Amino acid sequence: MSSDAATQLSYLDEGAGPRAWLLTTDHKRVAWLYLVSLTAFFFLGGAFAVLMRLELATPGGDLVSDDVYNRLFSLHGIIMVWFFLVPSIPATLGNFLLPLMIGARDLAFPRLNLASWYVFVFGSLFALFSVLAGGVDTGWTFYTPLSTLYANGFVSTAAMGVFIVGFSSIMTGINFIVTVHTLRAPGLTWFRLPIFVWTIYATALVMVLATPVLAASLILIVLERVFGIGIFNPDLGGDPLLFQHLFWFYSHPAVYIMILPGMGVVSEVLPCFSRRPLFGYKAVALSSMAIAVFGFLVWGHHMFVSGQSAYAGVIFSFLSFCVAIPSAIKVFNWSLTLRKGEITFEAPMLYALFFLALFTFGGLAGLFLAALAVDVHVHDTYFVVAHFHYIMVGGMVTAYMAGLHFWWPKMTGRMYSETWGRIAAAATFIGFNLTFFPQFVLGFLGMPRRYHTYPPEFQFWHVLSSAGAVVLAAGYLMPLFYLGWSLFRGARAPDNPWGATGLEWQTASPPPPHNFERMPRVSRPPYAYAMKGLKHERFSPHKETTGETAA
Amino acid sequence: MSASTRSVAFDTPAREKAADAFGMWVFVGSEAMLFGAVMLVFFVARVSYGPAFAAASKHLSLTLGTLNTAVLITSSFTMALAHFYSDARRWRAAVGTLAATALLGIAFLAIKGTEYAMEFHEGIAPVLGAPFTFDGPDPVHAAFFFGLYFTMTALHGLHLACGIIVVAGLLALWRGADASSRKRRVQAVGLYWHFVDVVWVFLFPVLYLINR
Amino acid sequence: MSEIRKLAVAYVSLLLLLALTVGSSFFDLGGFNSGLNLAIAVAKAVIIATLFMHLATAGTLPRLAVAAAGLWLAILFGLTLAGQWGNGS
Repeated sequence: MSSDAATQLSYLDEGAGPRAWLLTTDHKRVAWLYLVSLTAFFFLGGAFAVLMRLELATPGGDLVSDDVYNRLFSLHGIIMVWFFLVPSIPATLGNFLLPLMIGARDLAFPRLNLASWYVFVFGSLFALFSVLAGGVDTGWTFYTPLSTLYANGFVSTAAMGVFIVGFSSIMTGINFIVTVHTLRAPGLTWFRLPIFVWTIYATALVMVLATPVLAASLILIVLERVFGIGIFNPDLGGDPLLFQHLFWFYSHPAVYIMILPGMGVVSEVLPCFSRRPLFGYKAVALSSMAIAVFGFLVWGHHMFVSGQSAYAGVIFSFLSFCVAIPSAIKVFNWSLTLRKGEITFEAPMLYALFFLALFTFGGLAGLFLAALAVDVHVHDTYFVVAHFHYIMVGGMVTAYMAGLHFWWPKMTGRMYSETWGRIAAAATFIGFNLTFFPQFVLGFLGMPRRYHTYPPEFQFWHVLSSAGAVVLAAGYLMPLFYLGWSLFRGARAPDNPWGATGLEWQTASPPPPHNFERMPRVSRPPYAYAMKGLKHERFSPHKETTGETAA
Repeated sequence: MSASTRSVAFDTPAREKAADAFGMWVFVGSEAMLFGAVMLVFFVARVSYGPAFAAASKHLSLTLGTLNTAVLITSSFTMALAHFYSDARRWRAAVGTLAATALLGIAFLAIKGTEYAMEFHEGIAPVLGAPFTFDGPDPVHAAFFFGLYFTMTALHGLHLACGIIVVAGLLALWRGADASSRKRRVQAVGLYWHFVDVVWVFLFPVLYLINR
Repeated sequence: MSEIRKLAVAYVSLLLLLALTVGSSFFDLGGFNSGLNLAIAVAKAVIIATLFMHLATAGTLPRLAVAAAGLWLAILFGLTLAGQWGNGS
């Protein structure tokens, strides 16, 4: 549809110096700024995890002291949650794709978009300072009164870092919401939007409405630590439980900030590689919005053993079961999309299928935790750790990798090595299950979280988990190399290498600076795969790539 | 695309102005959640320690608080006028009302500062290690009240200070801006300013008028 | 000029409401003082939002933003208080 990629100037040709990148307002370049910074944080947070798994390979505290271990898991959590998972897909793929998918030249507020990255960097400096200065030992949740009365790490700076990064989320959220409402191409009605746009929109809604509450709770912690105002200190009339309410009002929905965009990615990838329209499009779209709303009603399930009222426990338990329904709707629809499809197993599809398996598994484990009585048994054990890693890593990070591979040709104009992509996908799937499945067993046997030593009878499962972590780390390191290599040596990507529907594939790879040569008009529903009267060539990635992938 | 839109994404200034307003409203909604969370903390404490909070509240200056509310309402009025004048392209009147708005904002902060000074002097400011000498019943929970009072008013004051800075910046950039940018900026900063006023409208009765 | 009149009416009613809320605090209304104060604050907020912030004429999108914030604030207050006081303590 677009002109020849070779003769056309792309957004990557618009100057290569630091100025051209650091002062850009092009959403595609801002996406790259985020991608580079988030990748750095991902590997930093991963390094802390590797150190923890090393320590846990033996029952004794051989490698690190208890205090250092506290700091390791706190920093791992803080960095992975606040500095990688929350911004991950929205700030990188979302930033890059949202305007392309709705046929716009850019986001509604391009300068706000760049500013959000600078705010992110500024906040991350605080966090990095806390890491270098000696760490934090409160866990990623900053629970009071531990964080206000007892913790002696750099809690205030870390909390300030998270607070500032929250602003960057709010800025991104406002930008996305306004963009989706005001900049859709002619003919692109709400029910013609790709699911990725729906999920990014739902995510933005949660970011805008929940992040300020987190900001408030973090301000109050800092005020308490620095100015001595006893807001959460029972001796001074405060209530530590109130912190947990405010914190989880944000942080449970934040789980949906993290998983919704992943669901969006998978909803794009599965139809493409099974050549089928997404089954139950409207149900999937509306269930995203349902998750965004109902996600706010369940935070109390983090507090079943925190001394909230018993009636509230029952209500929150019930609501937590209810919130599984929209997710289940999605899983069924994805599965039915595959039915009778002409499925091929390119790397993005492998990642998406692994997402489907791991997310379903982790989600079902969540139902155990939503049941009041079971939760009392497994609360604060490795069962919980395994559960949320199945969602956050098995779900979200896998979906992130799926999206990164799927849109890599669009973002860079280059094809990555399909062979290596498949190997990495398989390595992450095997490594992930080996790391985290044993943790379900450990938790059920009674191994509590946040301990650096344990009784010897748990060692078998811990060794399996540590071995899995090595495979998983390899699975995440491989893309760094073959994707990086493809930037310079990969085969030139055609405009639409996967034969996918969606406006982003109708422009050049990589796209021109303002995305489209001619502004698109939309006249048909999304995922028009295998529809009568529409031809979609089945693309063979091997045909157009060089010898190294054709093997 | 045309020269008068700020963002390349929009075709017409009118469309961009509508998007700007919507963006500001979303931001205002987000800010409402921030103040809502702090208010929630206050509300829980207020219900738990009613008598102590009422006794402590009497030590705030109702006169200065009322005066400040009037000042802030007036500043909102001048801001609304500035919006009207800039839409009507009566630029001189718009600049005048904007300047008045900023000055009223400064007056508010000055009065608030006087109150803070009085409270530190009286020994009812339990922050930064200042001595706390409250002679009523239940001084522990009175201190909690004052802690929340300082938190909430300082958070509000910080927002107001940001608003003053933005209005000042808007005036500094006034000459170089074309008509549509001026209108758009006045509209955006106006929405923010009025929101900060609304926050005070709630803070004032909640903090100053706790009934005995 | 009618626009300026509208703004002036809003301004005067805001000042009157301020006088009302301050004045009412000198009388003991038997536990209804806080309720009255909050009702007056809501009334002032509505005046500021509809007339100063032009919510009345601003179209659907800004109202959507306000409605969303209102709903989410209700969730925040409702469920937190249910958790805090659900036992009737």
